Amino acid sequence: MSFALLAPLGLAALAACTLPILIHLVRRLQLERTEFAALRWISARVQPRRRIRFERPWLLLARLLLLATLALLLARPVLDQVEANGVEHAYIAPGADPAAARALFDRVGVDLRWLAPSFPKAEQPLADHAVPFASLLREADASLPAGATLHVVVPRTLGGLDGERPRLAHALDWHVVDGEANATPVAARATIHFAVRYADEDATSLPYLRAAVAAWNAREPGRYLLDAAPLARGVPADARWLAWLAPSRPAEVDAWVERGGIALVAHDAGGGEPLWRDADGSVLARSRVQGAGRTIALPDRLSPTRLPDVLDARFATLLLDALRGAAGAPDRADAAAFEPARATYEERIDAAPLPGPVRPLDARFALLAAILFVVERVLATHVAQRGAP
Amino acid sequence: MTLQALVPVDVRARLRDLRLALRSHAGGDGLGQHTSRSRGAGLEFAQYRAYEPGDEPRRIDWKLYARSDRYFVREAERDSPLTAWIVVDATASMRHVDRAAPARGKLDAAKTLAACVIELALRQGDRFGLVVLGGDAPRVVPAGAGARQRDRCVLELVQCRPGGAWPAEAAVRPLWERIAPSSLVVLLSDFFDDAAAVLAERLASARRDVASVQLLGADERDFPFRGGHRFVDPESSAERRVEAERVRADFLERFGAARAQLARRFVANGIRHAEYLLDQPADLPLRRLFGAQASSGASGEGAT
Repeated sequence: MSFALLAPLGLAALAACTLPILIHLVRRLQLERTEFAALRWISARVQPRRRIRFERPWLLLARLLLLATLALLLARPVLDQVEANGVEHAYIAPGADPAAARALFDRVGVDLRWLAPSFPKAEQPLADHAVPFASLLREADASLPAGATLHVVVPRTLGGLDGERPRLAHALDWHVVDGEANATPVAARATIHFAVRYADEDATSLPYLRAAVAAWNAREPGRYLLDAAPLARGVPADARWLAWLAPSRPAEVDAWVERGGIALVAHDAGGGEPLWRDADGSVLARSRVQGAGRTIALPDRLSPTRLPDVLDARFATLLLDALRGAAGAPDRADAAAFEPARATYEERIDAAPLPGPVRPLDARFALLAAILFVVERVLATHVAQRGAP
Repeated sequence: MTLQALVPVDVRARLRDLRLALRSHAGGDGLGQHTSRSRGAGLEFAQYRAYEPGDEPRRIDWKLYARSDRYFVREAERDSPLTAWIVVDATASMRHVDRAAPARGKLDAAKTLAACVIELALRQGDRFGLVVLGGDAPRVVPAGAGARQRDRCVLELVQCRPGGAWPAEAAVRPLWERIAPSSLVVLLSDFFDDAAAVLAERLASARRDVASVQLLGADERDFPFRGGHRFVDPESSAERRVEAERVRADFLERFGAARAQLARRFVANGIRHAEYLLDQPADLPLRRLFGAQASSGASGEGAT
């Protein structure tokens, strides 16, 4: 449990505390006029000392407390959510076997949830989502109270990882069960039209592309629609990917690419980032950005002599990654090898405290302010009745 | 407003056993109040009254008995030599009121004391006069006797308001023409102005029997003030800005020394002196001055 302020700038209102202090001081420094005939026997040498003494200190205290409470109220005090009931939190990564996870945590006091956005209960069905696993793991880590242990049940193969192994603030209990993460983002699930336009002399390249698409569809059935046709058909409007297999290409293709298309172009000696290399390191294909789209340029035709990879079993994956572009970064790993590390103490101290689940204290502070106001009024009027100045 | 308003009932009741007397003639317990000059009963005829058992046979008027066949006693008006002058200080410093009793100031107390002395003098049949010092010029009620004289004095007292400073030497001079030697002068003042004490000394050295009452407030005795104060002199408008707690001890010491010195000075000059604090009963200083034990000459015992 810890106390926090959501708007610490509200504490600037504490400056208002100087007002009652000044008021009570000023009243103190006023000298009371008294008619006194025996004046000459009062020593003139002793000057009145301007001592810091407050008139009616209890009233001053009540007023200061009232102002401090109001300032705190402005700063929006919250209490970090308390985990006083000792509930342990266990998370099941999507892809892991829920039955195995339940078997692992089949005891009272374990809150078993999916490692998915907003952490639904394990009993609920898991909806598709696009948030990477590493991000969810860090979020779960940040939302745990200090000192708790993070139980995670993961499949053998993890997906949705990023470049760095997560460093967690809490102790980790890492369980690997059977299963494989299906890390494909749901946003990419739409059907993709892959148009192939070929000149007659390049028609020999077609079987390799057909084989690659067939391999894709074997993994994701019916997702990739191949539309192979001669050059005369032109570029279809609904195609997302295009393979232009011809010695020359019209400006129409470049315009389509610049509108956001991704094209695999043969017979293109233009520049770009090296994409594929052979065993000697010479560049086999280059990728270059063209407007909103991208071109994968092959210097020659798509044939085993120029590009031995087309005969390789990896070609389908290579081509898919090249066309998908950003998906090229590896995001899958073996779960046992990927066990996150514990953050060092310094890292944990430096880490900005994430706003976890908090309980607002506004109502309590408002009530306290009201009570203090009543006390202040009672004190002020009570002393006034006694005839104080 | 009458004498009853000036003198509380209980004080009035306690005045009964007090006697105004001159110190120089004190000591005898004869027939009259003032033994030296009074010739006993029958110096100046006043009235006849019927004989009552206990009257001396020699006081019966036998000639009248012969004419009327009844016993009558001649009564004579006693010739009192005593003239009591009451001098009231009504300067601005007498405006002082205590915080505890803001309704009754020093001048009110002085009026009460003056009324008590008037009451005593009236009861003894003595002549009395009143002098009020303060304001523009001294106001004088010439000496006289009787109830009407008392009313004149009480009226003057009631109308009197504090203000001004102690009159100059020249303004006080007419008093010497009126206050005859061997009169009793009761001086009611706070004696904060040295001129008052000087006047008392001069009167005493010129064969006037002076009894002085120094009126002091309870605040002057206790100095109960707290915190910062701006003390203002009502007469000179001088002021002192002090922290009351810090000057208290010093003030009490110096003020007490001043009071003791005044008492010693008056004793040395043969002046009966008593202090009267405003929270005391009004007959207390008179008892010290004119009570039975005071008449034997133990004067100046007013120090509390």
